[in-house]
Amino acid sequence: MDIFSQLGNIIVELYNSSGLATLHWENYVMILISFILMYLAIRKQYEPLLLLPIAFGMMLVNIFPAIMGNPSTQLMTYDQVIANGLDPASYTTTTQLLTKTQAISGGLDPTLLKTVTLHDGSTFYQAVYYNVTENGGLFYYLYQGVHLGIFPPLIFLGIGAMTDFGPLIANPKSFILGAAAQIGIFITFIGAILLGFKTNEAGSIAIIGGADGPTAIFVTSKLSPELLGPIAVAAYSYMALVPIIQPPIMRLLTTKKERSIVMGQLRPVSKLEKIIFPVVVVVLVAILLPDAAPLVGMLMLGNLFKESGVVDRIAKTAQNELMNIVTIFLGVTVGATASGTLFLTPKTLGIIALGLIAFCLGTSCGVLFGKIMCWATKGKVNPLIGSAGVSAVPMAARISQKVGQEENPANFLLMHAMGPNVAGVIGSAVAAGVLISVLK
Amino acid sequence: MDGNSERLVLALTLLLAGFIIVFVVLVLLIVIITIYGKLIQAAQGATAKRREKTKKVVVETEKLPEQKAPVVFGGSDDEIPGEIIAVIAAAVDAMYGNGTHKKIRSVKRSGNSRSAWGRAGIAENTRPF
Repeated sequence: MDIFSQLGNIIVELYNSSGLATLHWENYVMILISFILMYLAIRKQYEPLLLLPIAFGMMLVNIFPAIMGNPSTQLMTYDQVIANGLDPASYTTTTQLLTKTQAISGGLDPTLLKTVTLHDGSTFYQAVYYNVTENGGLFYYLYQGVHLGIFPPLIFLGIGAMTDFGPLIANPKSFILGAAAQIGIFITFIGAILLGFKTNEAGSIAIIGGADGPTAIFVTSKLSPELLGPIAVAAYSYMALVPIIQPPIMRLLTTKKERSIVMGQLRPVSKLEKIIFPVVVVVLVAILLPDAAPLVGMLMLGNLFKESGVVDRIAKTAQNELMNIVTIFLGVTVGATASGTLFLTPKTLGIIALGLIAFCLGTSCGVLFGKIMCWATKGKVNPLIGSAGVSAVPMAARISQKVGQEENPANFLLMHAMGPNVAGVIGSAVAAGVLISVLK
Repeated sequence: MDGNSERLVLALTLLLAGFIIVFVVLVLLIVIITIYGKLIQAAQGATAKRREKTKKVVVETEKLPEQKAPVVFGGSDDEIPGEIIAVIAAAVDAMYGNGTHKKIRSVKRSGNSRSAWGRAGIAENTRPF
């Protein structure tokens, strides 16, 4: 019978320590959402490089929340350390002065403690505690790269090493479209303020409109780190959903005739121009907006690696190995911030709704400025390239190409759209610098 | 002013400031890039002209020997097909051409028996840091 009762105890203990007993309904909802995201990443291939690790991190943290657990330090008396089977010599100690009552309620025998008499005559007992530290979960440590704002600039280094700024140098006016698409950020800021968010929270929410995950994380880690989870998930989800969100807005704001405009060939750009470009951008942006320097600096460093042609090995590492490693860590830990009990709150829903509005506004402003440029150049600019001003590279440019080809299969807008697209990356980093410098 | 209107004023100020700063920075970039783009183009154009003057590159349209049947490269016949010559000329121009006209005078088979991919691989793995 003893065997059966012990077996029963083991089963009960197992059940109590399992997710079935510890998880809340919010965790199950998030696990379900992670399955949907995995489906979208694998089956629909919506930004799978990001969405898949995010979804998996989301699933893991909701099954096993301790994987994101903070490291903790527990103060233990000598007796407690021994009772837990630990070696007192392995831990540092902390001394606390206690009153007699505090010592007794803390399970200590005052007669065994040293006493200290203060100048006013009061007597305290000197209790020695051991700092028993417990390490955090795996994702806690990986998450520090996000929390401290290290991963976003590293991602920018990789993006810079992969980006050809040629179309932007050939047609610098694209910068206007890259700037126009950032207006959505500042309009959403007002919306967030009106909805009752604090100014620093509103800034972090608004930056989602830049459609740039690393920038959104960077700004949020500086302004309101407590919102990193929902903002990062919203930013990356909208980046993944660019093919669904943008085309209806682009069609709504343009006429069939405008969408059919075929743009002229871009001029070839010399190697020297491409080498000078990153240096010029960094010098100008970092001097005017030092807060944007980490992002723009790393972006342009990566680009200089690529364009200089003398550090091929480093350029390849930045493009491939480093970028992939950081993407894995960033993806899973961003997903792991979406723990059900913290994530499923009215505030998160507000952030996700405002993020969507910011993203739609960014796209709309880009297309509307595209229309202005179309009018100003007497029909030489296809307004569809304006939507690429949001910086989801290269997805937004691909969408301009796709929507343009629906009207005219012989129309190739991709290279023209890459100009505003890479300008959008610089534009959102500049907007981030403005938000940080004003709101920090 | 109460707290809410103060926040709204800040939001509107940020909208204006953000809009202006982002546009000013990017317009400055447009100006700088346009200027240096033109300077570089002008400088490169001048260099190309100078080269043309000193070298006087002859632009010749040589009639290639008519091909009766496509010759398999590496076969017994040493004659290289016109298509291959055109491809080699295009590759040379892509690598070394800078807008000037060039003429392929002769094409010789490399004595190296290792394939181009193999040599590229060796260069990749043995190039020092």
